[in-house]
Amino acid sequence: MAGLKLQDVRKNFGAVEVIMGVDLEVEHGEFVVFVGPSGCGKSTLLRMVAGLEETTSGRIEIGGRLVNDVEPRDRGVAMVFQSYALYPHMSVYDNVGFGLKLAGTPRDERDAKIRAAARVLQMEHLLDRKPAQLSGGQRQRVAIGRAIVREPDVFLFDEPLSNLDAALRVDMRMELSRLHTDLGATMIYVTHDQVEAMTLADKIVVLQGGIVQQVGSPLELYNRPANLFVAGFIGSPKMNFIEVTVDGTTNDGVRVANSLLASPALVGQRQGMAPGDTLTLGVRPHALQIDDTGPIGGVATLIERLGNETIVRVRLDAATEITAALTGQREIALGEPIRLGFDPVDAHLFAADGRRL
Amino acid sequence: MTAAQPKAWLARLLLALLITVTLLPFLSMFTAALAPSGSYPNGLSWPDEPQWSNFAKAFEAANMGQLLISSTLIVLGVVPISVLAATMAGYGLAKLTGGRNKWIYLVFVAGLTLPFEAVITPLYYEVRAFGLLNTRFAIILPLIGLYMPFSVYWMRAHFLNVPNDLTEAAQLDGATRWKEFWLVQVPLARPAIMSLTILLFLWTWNQFLLPVVLVRDPSLRTMAGALGAFQGQWGTDVPLLCAGSLLILTPTVLLFLAFQRHFVAALLQGSVKG
Amino acid sequence: MNDGTPSGDTRLRMSRLFPGGKNQKARATAILFVLPAFTAYAVFVLAPLVMSLYYSTLRWDGIGKARFTGLANYATVLTDPDLLSIIGNAFELVLYFTVIPVLLGLAVASAIRGHMAGTFGTLTRTVLFLPQVIPLVAAGIAWSWMFASSGLVNQALTAVGLADWTRGWLGDFDFALPAVGIIGAWVLLGLCTMLLVTGITKIDPSLYEAARLDGARPWHEFRYVTLPGLRQEIGVCITVTVISALASFDIVYIATGGGPGITTMVPGLEIYRLAFAHRQVGLASALAIVLMVLVLIAITPVQWYAREKK
Repeated sequence: MAGLKLQDVRKNFGAVEVIMGVDLEVEHGEFVVFVGPSGCGKSTLLRMVAGLEETTSGRIEIGGRLVNDVEPRDRGVAMVFQSYALYPHMSVYDNVGFGLKLAGTPRDERDAKIRAAARVLQMEHLLDRKPAQLSGGQRQRVAIGRAIVREPDVFLFDEPLSNLDAALRVDMRMELSRLHTDLGATMIYVTHDQVEAMTLADKIVVLQGGIVQQVGSPLELYNRPANLFVAGFIGSPKMNFIEVTVDGTTNDGVRVANSLLASPALVGQRQGMAPGDTLTLGVRPHALQIDDTGPIGGVATLIERLGNETIVRVRLDAATEITAALTGQREIALGEPIRLGFDPVDAHLFAADGRRL
Repeated sequence: MTAAQPKAWLARLLLALLITVTLLPFLSMFTAALAPSGSYPNGLSWPDEPQWSNFAKAFEAANMGQLLISSTLIVLGVVPISVLAATMAGYGLAKLTGGRNKWIYLVFVAGLTLPFEAVITPLYYEVRAFGLLNTRFAIILPLIGLYMPFSVYWMRAHFLNVPNDLTEAAQLDGATRWKEFWLVQVPLARPAIMSLTILLFLWTWNQFLLPVVLVRDPSLRTMAGALGAFQGQWGTDVPLLCAGSLLILTPTVLLFLAFQRHFVAALLQGSVKG
Repeated sequence: MNDGTPSGDTRLRMSRLFPGGKNQKARATAILFVLPAFTAYAVFVLAPLVMSLYYSTLRWDGIGKARFTGLANYATVLTDPDLLSIIGNAFELVLYFTVIPVLLGLAVASAIRGHMAGTFGTLTRTVLFLPQVIPLVAAGIAWSWMFASSGLVNQALTAVGLADWTRGWLGDFDFALPAVGIIGAWVLLGLCTMLLVTGITKIDPSLYEAARLDGARPWHEFRYVTLPGLRQEIGVCITVTVISALASFDIVYIATGGGPGITTMVPGLEIYRLAFAHRQVGLASALAIVLMVLVLIAITPVQWYAREKK
């Protein structure tokens, strides 16, 4: 039964610090997703947990045991690589069983475990093939099977779905979810795709510039992003940001204004700000609705009709455009003026330094 | 595409010419080998009475049986050890050493263009000091060292192309470096190892300078080295010399024909990388 | 679940063996992998090379007492007319060993421009590689016979009415060196041709089509598509052939022994002669070092040429 604990974990490549003090606790059985743009350090952090990268300073504990100086093979972790990293010269059967063979597991026990894993992943018919004879999705299964048979304390996934085509990715995502439920094991998953993060995770860790921006459940991150970065990164389409000035407070919240806004907007929150402060107002596209008296007015410059919703790009002035995702199918024409509003509780305010207010 | 037609013919003609030029010396040797021993045959003329017995005579005179054994022993002494050492070093240099130790690789590469003649004199005294002069070890041991620059370079180039993910997967699967090397890397390196084996076999079998300098007794030399002695002894008897030379060529040529595809691939890549 | 305890124990033992921890251990492993190769290389290449440098400063007959002479041997190598003409011979051989195979190879490659498929292709490859497979010594013997008074070359000349031209080629003061050069060209021709033929198949055929649409003549295609595309392969051909010309030994030893006079003597053979027949170990070593340096000097620009833009 193993959780994972990181304490002030740091990593330098030469003089460059790529992980700048990460603290994190993962409960046993949790599915944790590291998410962030490329170069944010998420893969490096995962590889440090695996033991593939040296940890410059700080403590990494797996199941209560300090593993900083423990070889990867002795950490009780298994990893699924982005490239799958299957041994090309071995059959699927041998690929899956390689770790067990090295560990000296008796042949019949090994065989039973390999077949059990193959059954779970529905790849029993593939056991005699070589990796080259498999499709991308099948290789993916083999890579996961190789991890499963080792019965690790912690599963590590390094962008495992990014080499698959879109449709397959959705299938595999669901399958991974199911696998997590079935195995009840601790899983750490790295991705740059926030949809994967939102759908898979119990807990998401958003990384940027080697620093943890926020840790929380998918909905926490969606509803209460800790800062501008998280707000912009989680959710699709991206949250709209408009620079505003605090106008005054009312009983319902704070009133903000801006030359771009057709009228002052009401935001359901009022702590930590004074009239005259310059803030960033964040509104998700899905929070915007057509509202003839709403604070936001502009001209439709781009319309995407998806059937279940209509996405409209609205130009406020020459330099500012926002996106609105309107439910259903709307009769809007290009160049038509449009007026939008939002519920005060759906708006977010961020201080000049990016922190949520 | 009408223009391609005459060009294809030109290409074929050129190739046919090349093939002829390549084969003529062998043909000329062959007809000469069939002339009566001790006679002066003409360049390319089928003798009235082909003396097939010349080959048997040359086989005796060149001590071919002994030579085959000797060459084989030398090849067996050189090639497996060289390939193993180079494979290990190639893996070590490609996967286990970082920027700080790049100099080791550069030291190996520095030897790539070294002509053997540049070290043959000190090698003679070194081998003599080891008490190995006039033994097969006088050829075997120095050749292993002399082949290292190319072999290490060759194997390292191969291992550089093996994705690091495989190494890491093996480590997570619980493999020590040694096990990873034998169970993952060596099986994957088989084509590179095969080519290296072929090249080293050819170079050893055909090695001339070292046998001539370091081993006096032709029966302890490589085929090529022995051929030198054979020429010295029978140089004036053209039919016998030609028969002997052809015999000495036969083993490698037969191997070459049998493994034509591998040989061609190895020789082509071998020179590109070297 | 597997908590890795058994292997954890071994790890503990290991960490006691290697107190420096993981890094130290990784280093030790790397060293163990490289050590066998490096030992062989150090003992049989690096050490002799250092000894060569040392010998080259001596006046020594290989038996008696050696006398330190500084750079005198190098002065001899670079001023003695015989030694200079021997070095010159090596460079003259480059003309034959390198120029003929590369030019002919280019001609064939650009004429074929495509895979040599089928039986004809296999046959061609097999035959063209024969000279690479046989010992150079055998090539030397075969061509000694070709060039002999009653050999095929003279026979052919007579047949086409050039009987006046016949001679013992390898014994002729003017023609021995070119004849040796022809042997080298014959050996290397197949290799270069195949390298270039293989290289040309890697050039994107649409480049030729684009060139033709741009109005390129065959010569332009060759000049602007083929040559740049074969840069690397040409570099390889030149490198391989130049080294085998400058460091030639086997062919000369067998075909002419350096004669007549010293018209076909090359540094490789002269080193052998000086060290083991004339017992001038110091001078032989100086020549050896000079040869090594000459090879490097000759190869370096070729490598630059081949690397550029690749």
